[in-house]
Amino acid sequence: MTSTFHTRLLAFVLTAIALTIFGIKVFQYNYPLTPGTQTTTWDFEIYLDFDTANQPVRIETFIPANSDTRRVSQEQYYNGAFGLRLESDNDNGRKAIWTYRYPNDRKVLRYRARLEGETQRSPLPAEMHRPADREPPESLNDLERQAFLVWSSDMRRRSADDDSLAELILQEIFVQKDADEIEALLPVLPPPLDRLTLAAEALQSQGIRARVANGVYLDEARRRTEIQHWLEYHVDGRDKRYFLGPDPKEFFTIWYGTEEMIRADGVFDFEPQVSIQPIDSSASDVVRKAARADRTPVELFSFDRLPVTTQLVYQVLITIPAGIVLLVFMRQFVGIETLGTFMPILIGIAFRETALLNGLILFTMLVALGLAMRFYLEKLRLLLVPRLAVVLIFIVICMAVIAQVMNGANMRMGLSISLFPMVILTMTIERMSIMWEEYSAEDAIKAGAGSMLVASISYLVMTNKHIEYLLFNFPELLLVLMALCLLMGKYTGLRLSEIIRFRELAKQAEK
Amino acid sequence: MISTWIALRKAGLLGINERNLRLVNDLNPRRLMRLVNDKTETKRLAIEAGIPTPELYGLIRNPLDMRNLETLLDKPDGCVIKPANGSQGNGIQVILGPMRGGWRRSNGQRALFEDLKFHVNNILSGMYSLSGQPDVAMIEYRVKFDEVFDPISFGGVPDIRIIVLRGIPFVAMVRLPTAESDGKANLHKGGVGVGLDLVTGRTMHGMQNGKTTEIHPDTANPLSNFSVPHWDAMLLMAAKAYEVTGLGYLGADIVLDKGKGPLLLELNARPGLAIQIANRMGIRPLVNAALTADTEGLDAEGRVDLAKKLYRQHAPAHPVNA
Repeated sequence: MTSTFHTRLLAFVLTAIALTIFGIKVFQYNYPLTPGTQTTTWDFEIYLDFDTANQPVRIETFIPANSDTRRVSQEQYYNGAFGLRLESDNDNGRKAIWTYRYPNDRKVLRYRARLEGETQRSPLPAEMHRPADREPPESLNDLERQAFLVWSSDMRRRSADDDSLAELILQEIFVQKDADEIEALLPVLPPPLDRLTLAAEALQSQGIRARVANGVYLDEARRRTEIQHWLEYHVDGRDKRYFLGPDPKEFFTIWYGTEEMIRADGVFDFEPQVSIQPIDSSASDVVRKAARADRTPVELFSFDRLPVTTQLVYQVLITIPAGIVLLVFMRQFVGIETLGTFMPILIGIAFRETALLNGLILFTMLVALGLAMRFYLEKLRLLLVPRLAVVLIFIVICMAVIAQVMNGANMRMGLSISLFPMVILTMTIERMSIMWEEYSAEDAIKAGAGSMLVASISYLVMTNKHIEYLLFNFPELLLVLMALCLLMGKYTGLRLSEIIRFRELAKQAEK
Repeated sequence: MISTWIALRKAGLLGINERNLRLVNDLNPRRLMRLVNDKTETKRLAIEAGIPTPELYGLIRNPLDMRNLETLLDKPDGCVIKPANGSQGNGIQVILGPMRGGWRRSNGQRALFEDLKFHVNNILSGMYSLSGQPDVAMIEYRVKFDEVFDPISFGGVPDIRIIVLRGIPFVAMVRLPTAESDGKANLHKGGVGVGLDLVTGRTMHGMQNGKTTEIHPDTANPLSNFSVPHWDAMLLMAAKAYEVTGLGYLGADIVLDKGKGPLLLELNARPGLAIQIANRMGIRPLVNAALTADTEGLDAEGRVDLAKKLYRQHAPAHPVNA
């Protein structure tokens, strides 16, 4: 058996296996082939991971609750040996309380549910429709109360009605941040809760019912989503919400007030994680139906039963092979020069954090700065490894400065590079600078540009919704990708770049 | 584009993918690659087999050896510093001899001891070695090259590359330094490659930077019709390199010294494909012929004869313009 035949046979067998499983899923169990357009339900998970040391543990966390406007379903609690109590407090929200007397080792608690989100148009709960008492906040001392009254009557004078009054107060507190009297009135709370609380109190004191709401924005799958805070108020018979920053399309209110979401006693090394993931309702319903009907072996080839956090990791991981197939194609068939074999893929993955355009700009900027530094270091005649280390530290400093500057300019892009792989950047710089000296600036820039091109295309492939959906729901297709790579490994034809390189010989041959 | 592709296939052009799969992967076992990647090892084997190489003055293996550097460099006729595991001519410094306060480099500039020490340090830390492994610096005899190529070279040492398949030399070129290549004969640095007729050792057409040319860019002299002296000895050296290393596909780089004749500079387990442009022909027919030729019982000399026979079957004799 020649190796070529062997390879083809293997590729064929792999493809056959993959397509069989794929066919069963599609035809027998009617898995949809494209992601649905509606994503109104969300998988929500609170993941608590901590160390204990033989002393009583008590963990309280607010959890989503049903109301007129919000829907929670399929709640699951993973308690381990812990006792669980649910406490509903009508004012603030619903709490899960886990307790255990003598735990030891690392423990994990989990809460999972399906959420249907709210939008800016969702009505506020009925209790928000009662009028509020016109009383200044009780938490203030006499002096502050005096200042508060002066300030609020000033607001009142400058406004026409309740609506414009509310606008004005919010404007004063959140937009014109420099006013001294507001600084003095702020309660001792972490931002942005301090301003939100002051705003709620100020509105309440003018007879406008308001409160601080806390929850999550349902915008995209996030492995660590941040808890967001906003203001709900009811003015002139209308329900309103005031968000810091742009309004989210969908969100979910979990609790009210200024309490922290999770409170833990007796634990160490506590790592709470809140994750959300959109569920394509049409697809997932079918999948669940199929899975419940009979526990088929097909189910083994699905990530649906893993915890949401793990699922999200796989959603990223599983698209990498698609990028790799593309890279192999670009190298073996097109013949694009890149810096390092798989570096473009790593850069492409890094672009997930920054989005494409920002990523390209940042990457180019950092590589240019690093190269400048590297050429300067050339003069100092350092040993190789310390020189690499200096470049790496320099890159970290550059990133920190960029983050600061961008933050000052109110651009989010600078903040997104926190996980931008520095080692990859440093190696890119080192390779490029050696190429620069040994070959030419042209070659180095060509290879750099080639890497960026492959990285960009692989990013587009890896983040393509359809590719992600197909690979995540039909992981068996990875075998097809593997078969493709096997076949490409036996390609002996010319590369596109070689056709260009040797074109003079072709002219010669034609003569 | 497609017509170009078809024309290239017809011309028998060999691409990188095919070279890697059919020649490098199949004929060059990984464990043997070490023999040619490490130039000190190549030198040792060559000496054992009676193939002449430039004399090795000494090695700098670690920072401790560095104290020997000054004495090693102190040769009136100059020397060459090179990384033992370098590739594509990277990291090679040619020193013409001592001058006041330092050493004269091949481009005429002065190098201070500091500069050379830094360079050797870079070699040791693996800057030029494959995959960045720590490396060893070699200090060896600087070749006084024969004047035969003077009209068509500019500074530095011209060398002859012969590609050998299963011990059969099948295609060759001479590589000439230019002003652009800074005295190095490497094609990717701007050196000129001139195809050689394998039977006669006569130069044919040239190429530079991937484009065909008939004259040397610096001296403007025509490249064709130079005869390489000691041609048969060179073919024999290249053929012997197969026995020495066991590599089925290799490129032998040979320089021509004024007094010592041809010297084997290094061997390459992945010789490049630009030689096809220099020779104005695709090498697939020759490759196929060499792959299937019967070499049973042939020694190096026998294979050289076979090589000339195969070559004439596939490449017509180049017309000699008087």
